[in-house]
Amino acid sequence: MQPTSSMKEEFLKKWQMGLQIYRPLIDNTSVSERRKAIKLSADVAMASLRKGTTCWSRALIQKTATEDNFLVRQMLSGIKAETLINKKLPKVMCHRKIVRRSKKILRRRQSRSAIEEVAAKARKLVKKKTQGLRNVVPGGEFMSNDVLLIQETLDYIVSLQTQVNVMRSIVDAAEAGSERTAYYLGKLKFAIEDG
Amino acid sequence: MSSRRSRQASSSSRISDDQITDLISKLRQSIPEIRQNRRSSTVSASKVLQETCNYIRNLHKEADDLSDRLSQLLETIDPNSPQAAIIRSLINE
Repeated sequence: MQPTSSMKEEFLKKWQMGLQIYRPLIDNTSVSERRKAIKLSADVAMASLRKGTTCWSRALIQKTATEDNFLVRQMLSGIKAETLINKKLPKVMCHRKIVRRSKKILRRRQSRSAIEEVAAKARKLVKKKTQGLRNVVPGGEFMSNDVLLIQETLDYIVSLQTQVNVMRSIVDAAEAGSERTAYYLGKLKFAIEDG
Repeated sequence: MSSRRSRQASSSSRISDDQITDLISKLRQSIPEIRQNRRSSTVSASKVLQETCNYIRNLHKEADDLSDRLSQLLETIDPNSPQAAIIRSLINE
């Protein structure tokens, strides 16, 4: 799945809203504070695209709220900000009983064919690599179920691509020399509408 | 009784293996480096997961870099230039 034009448009709108909240401060703060404001608004905008339906978006909102509670509340004012910020993420997300039961049954199997050994080794390797994923996906540490983890990863990737595409278009347009500004403005419009 | 249970167990773990295989092939399609490779279907699950981590880290880095550039722009921009107009429209919209 690729970022759609409606996703990009919605991200841009939400990001603009976040930047507007910072507008009074933008003229009077340091570059690093401005940078933080830009990044945080972009992250909340990206997470709010999912309206609290995915683990990673909830985890990202909570994490951003610890850095700037005011911004998050303002940006999410339409979408149950309180519940999203205060909702406790459980230690383990789901299917714990099933995982536990199948692990017990696997251990009980005394004899293993060569094929099963290979499959078990492959599963172990996959387990190790999924640990890396848990470190980069927000809220990954709460996803003990591998299926859930990969589903969340897929959605997170599309959202990240949306965020980066729109930000890149804006920054390229803004950095361009005046004779190329019109070109980039057109490209930006095209990029957002065409998807 | 135990044979029925182990049959059920193997079918439940088989379903989950199929799900994971399916999800990993979806991941394969999402990572540009792998998708563009002509022999992408032979890339192992382990490599796909590794590349996914790398790809996500790169996206994070790019987003940070873009935030940097934008904040620098706000610092140095000439208020009368077309660039300023773009940024103003971004903020004022």
